Amino acid sequence: MNRIEFGGDACERTRRYLDSYISNELAVETNHEVLGHLESCATCAAELDSRTRLRSRLKAAVTAQNVPPELQVRIREQIRNDRSRGWFGSWFRASLPLAMAVTASVALCVGVWNYSRQSMPALSDRTAQNAYIQKVSATLASVLRVGLGDHIHCSVFRKYPQNPPPVEKMEADLGPAYKGLLPIVRAAVPGDFKVVMAHRCGYAGRKFIHLTLEKNGDRLSLVVAQKKDGESLNGLPAASTPAGIPVVQAGAGRYQVAGFDAGGFLAYVVSDLKSQSNLRIASNLAPGVSEFLMKTPA
Amino acid sequence: MLFPQRRRIEDFEAAAMPHMNDIYRTASRVLGGEAGAHDVVQDVYLQAWKSFDQFQLGTNCRAWLFKILFNTLHHYRRKWLNIRMVKDCEEILEQTAAASPALPQHITDEAVLAALAGVPQDFRAVVLLIDVEEFSYKEAAGILSVPIGTVMSRLSRGRKVLREKLADVAPSYGIGLAYHEERIA
Repeated sequence: MNRIEFGGDACERTRRYLDSYISNELAVETNHEVLGHLESCATCAAELDSRTRLRSRLKAAVTAQNVPPELQVRIREQIRNDRSRGWFGSWFRASLPLAMAVTASVALCVGVWNYSRQSMPALSDRTAQNAYIQKVSATLASVLRVGLGDHIHCSVFRKYPQNPPPVEKMEADLGPAYKGLLPIVRAAVPGDFKVVMAHRCGYAGRKFIHLTLEKNGDRLSLVVAQKKDGESLNGLPAASTPAGIPVVQAGAGRYQVAGFDAGGFLAYVVSDLKSQSNLRIASNLAPGVSEFLMKTPA
Repeated sequence: MLFPQRRRIEDFEAAAMPHMNDIYRTASRVLGGEAGAHDVVQDVYLQAWKSFDQFQLGTNCRAWLFKILFNTLHHYRRKWLNIRMVKDCEEILEQTAAASPALPQHITDEAVLAALAGVPQDFRAVVLLIDVEEFSYKEAAGILSVPIGTVMSRLSRGRKVLREKLADVAPSYGIGLAYHEERIA
């Protein structure tokens, strides 16, 4: 903290220390003296106002820019795939005999690990993306692959604008029949998740209603598809039953895919959150989304 | 612990990921564009991840990431960019007693950012840390590895240049400027 003495040339002194005053870096006593001068000097007060407004405008202008979601995804992926500081080294250093035993286990697991480890294709490489989706989806029931495929295709491999589109644009993109999903979703997900995209889209020959939400780089999709003949999620074991609606969930790679039937629709909640978190959000969404879709002609 | 790596990833993501917007926009503004910022932010987070063992949970992760950011930027500009460094002898506390150009009432983000881009890089870095990211002088000094006096002088110079640049660029964005007529004798 900077303490200054005031005497003659109070204006000049005040202005010289306005920067520290604006930054709240003056000692209490000095701050009080500057404040006293500002109350009696309209010119210095106007100077302070101008500098303070510029500071606010600068902060607003700079913070309007956000990190592109695809960069967040890429960084997360790199960290999760980084092996330079892996658990093997920690264990080995901590306990050599245990590490030797682990070595044998690791040798057996390497094949499985290599199989399960998926690198992320580039945004422009659609062929590699489709191969990635097929590989990640391979262990899922086919009725769950529908939602996961559209989530990866449309939410993960996408460049987002710096700022989400306005609600009116999202409503227009969803169309009059489905725009009512927006308030239902907003009310059901945790408040720190923001809807960053809402539209109709298509993947692998099917059409979808798709809402994407984000929180600190965690991305979550609500994907709705019309049922095809005989399709249902109700044949799979339920992980939860909010309001009597069976919600199923399975993991595939780093993704969690939850789903539930809603009249003529299948609804999916897909994210790379932890299993319990994804299921909790899906369970919160199921009653409202299901009620809405039941009233909507397929 | 059975899965230390998984726990480590969770700890890292919880501590570091929420600050990625701050790191990205600062890198972008210091470098003067988003293209280089992608690589820098990626390097910052990978370096932070590799040295996460040295970070004490519960301490200021944001300041720690910013310190890595400016080390990375320093490396980048020495290696790849021919950016003029501010010499210590230039860092004389400016006489800021004169009234500055009045801030236009309706100024756009575009004009503010264009003016900011015209502020010398070392001054700009301090202005971003203090005025945008709201670090204290002491924290900014730690992040930039410079004395507090240097932070103060760069901030003063940076803000002054920003006001002047804004006066220069505002007319080109269709913004009229009026100036204080009164000046301190």
